[in-house]
Amino acid sequence: MATTTSSPPSDTSAPARPAGRSARRRGDGRFVLACLLPALVLFVLFMVVPTVNVFRMSFYTWSGFSPDMRFVGFDNFTQLFEDAQFVRAFQNTVALLVVVTVVTMGMGLFLAAIMTRQRLRGRNFYRFVLYVPNVLSVVVIAAIFSAIYDQQNGLLNGTLRLLSLDGLQQVWLGDQDIVLWSVAIAMVWQSLGYYMVLYMSSMASIPEELYEASGLDGASPTRQFFSITLPLIWQNLRTTLTFFVMSAVNLSFVLVRAMTGGGPDGSSEVLLSYMYKQAYTNSSYGYGMAIGVVIFAFSFLVSLLVSRATRREPLQF
Amino acid sequence: MRRSLVLAGAAVTVLGLLTGCSAGGDGADSGKTTLSVAALEGGYGRDMYTQVIQAYEAAHPDVDVQLQISKSIEDEITPNMKAGRYPDVVVLGQGRKAALTETLVKDKALEDLTPVLQANVPGESQTVSAKLIDGIVGNLNTNPYGDDKTYLMPMYYAPTGLVYNKGLFEEKGWEVPATWDEMWALGDKAKKDGIALFTYPTAGYLDSFFFALLADVGGEQFYNDVMTYKQGVWQTPQAKQVLDIATKLLSYAAPTTVGYANEQDFTKNQQSILDNKALFMPNGTWIVGEMADAPREDGFAWGLTPLPAAGEGGKRYITTSVESVWVPGAAKNKDAAKDFVAYLYSDAAAKIFAQSNAIQPIKGIVDSLSGENAEFYKVYEDPSVTALVGGFASTAPVPGVDIKATLFDTANSVISGDKTQDQWQSALNDASEKLRQAGS
Repeated sequence: MATTTSSPPSDTSAPARPAGRSARRRGDGRFVLACLLPALVLFVLFMVVPTVNVFRMSFYTWSGFSPDMRFVGFDNFTQLFEDAQFVRAFQNTVALLVVVTVVTMGMGLFLAAIMTRQRLRGRNFYRFVLYVPNVLSVVVIAAIFSAIYDQQNGLLNGTLRLLSLDGLQQVWLGDQDIVLWSVAIAMVWQSLGYYMVLYMSSMASIPEELYEASGLDGASPTRQFFSITLPLIWQNLRTTLTFFVMSAVNLSFVLVRAMTGGGPDGSSEVLLSYMYKQAYTNSSYGYGMAIGVVIFAFSFLVSLLVSRATRREPLQF
Repeated sequence: MRRSLVLAGAAVTVLGLLTGCSAGGDGADSGKTTLSVAALEGGYGRDMYTQVIQAYEAAHPDVDVQLQISKSIEDEITPNMKAGRYPDVVVLGQGRKAALTETLVKDKALEDLTPVLQANVPGESQTVSAKLIDGIVGNLNTNPYGDDKTYLMPMYYAPTGLVYNKGLFEEKGWEVPATWDEMWALGDKAKKDGIALFTYPTAGYLDSFFFALLADVGGEQFYNDVMTYKQGVWQTPQAKQVLDIATKLLSYAAPTTVGYANEQDFTKNQQSILDNKALFMPNGTWIVGEMADAPREDGFAWGLTPLPAAGEGGKRYITTSVESVWVPGAAKNKDAAKDFVAYLYSDAAAKIFAQSNAIQPIKGIVDSLSGENAEFYKVYEDPSVTALVGGFASTAPVPGVDIKATLFDTANSVISGDKTQDQWQSALNDASEKLRQAGS
């Protein structure tokens, strides 16, 4: 391959040089294109085409199988806003997005700061323990939380009984006012370790001198956190915010499906689980795709807003 | 030269990737008909299918039957179906989450199987319809469009009613209630012993309860009106009475019911019957196998009863779940498929199925049963009890409207007090009206 790299031509005459170089450059371009082609084809085939199809299908009523699709324009979308169950699923998704993001980010930052700044004994062990939920499959997590939330012999109600706090016992997965928060707790538990490790890695790269210097100036650890740590990991924080939006949409679907099935009576339904129900169980594929478009637009918009709102001049150490 | 080699290499890679996506080639053309059969691996297991296919192939050497069987068979055959490669025979009932059968019914994409009924069972002298028990075909379950054409052949049938512990009733000296008044009296009596009258695994199991209750209260005509979304049917006094009874029964439900009524925990609701914490739950014959390894109280014995009669001496219906076998309209080997479907009702096949507790609706088969199955299928012998088959009629899909969810899942909200009976009734009326408009 050494001959194809651009070593300056040694014995060609001056007028021939530009032509030779451009021919070579064109050749390089072709080679790069050829290398990119397989990935490009796969990307278009499995990402672009289906996404375009989602948008196209949302204008049709179609059961999913039959050859007859009927174009209905924006009917699917107008119906969405009259569908109380859809509105509820939307509200639930937004609630989960806000609560899970705030709690996970707050706790993740706090734990990461403690683990990197305070020389905690056994911190590697804590890090391991907190990270483990992230590698578990969602079905396992659902089973674990089914054992925790069990209304009779569950860990949670059992502990409350032990502490003589019987009045605080709840039917965690059966009470329509609580069930969504039960799902939220499982989501936080699952993703906390992942974000903590992300934050820890960027905190570890902050030079120690900054802390020493500010310490000599009399800054407290809290002050150090807000004035040094937070501004310096800001870019990292922004990236994770986009992750939160995605996980609120995707992770909530798998957890809800495994833990509650959207119940009781639709009270823990989220956008994706409702889309699945409509597209498949209710044979309204076009309507499901309209929900898909709403999800796409919603997550896109939220990501954009969050990224705009948090834009800062990047700080260098 | 080298560049063209690289390009050619890239092209080959891309082509290789693309062809990798398409399915493998068809079997060799040896003159044999290849019949592809897809079946749901339900509680009955998969062995019975391989045995029946072996027996069929032995009798039909020119047919090669390919069996595809899975617990989520819809996920496996759907991608191929969308690509136009349909299985020839599918054994899959209605009421599954993926709703593949319902979707194809709504699309009118099933093959008319009425000729199979008139055909002789291969190797026997009787026709298929002569072997089937009375009343099992000709309802909305087999003739989904309400005409006289059969699209779904009844494969296995099982009574679903209220499941209870016979041992407990004997021990306490209680009678299984025959009317709702006796039911409420029993509920109050049991409450004193700390036993709840009622529970359900998940709200979806209430289908057997509601279908039978509708027919008990208003007769078969009323039941059919509800199932075909007759205008204003949910505002009739009969509908009110059905919801009255349901709401009252739900007020007797075990306090743990709603919290466990999800995919993850529903067996805990079923366990409360085994633990004598609840008296009745709607369920079917599969419960015996499903809870076979569960711990139970001493003297426990499974019992199954139809719902109490709506009035003194009233007719009682028992919802009968029927799994179906059907042929997609786009199948390649329809004739071979129909012959195979007819063979499924032969004595040889029925015997194999029955060994796995899969009971087909064939005359005389009940006499050969033993154990719990004999006990369960005995309910059909009571002259006041009639089998009730079917379910909501198919309409064009209506986005956002799922009347089954409205009828069953709302029970969770009624127990917890999040919805009232009036809200329930008006939601049902709305859903039914929307579906009626879509159907006509």
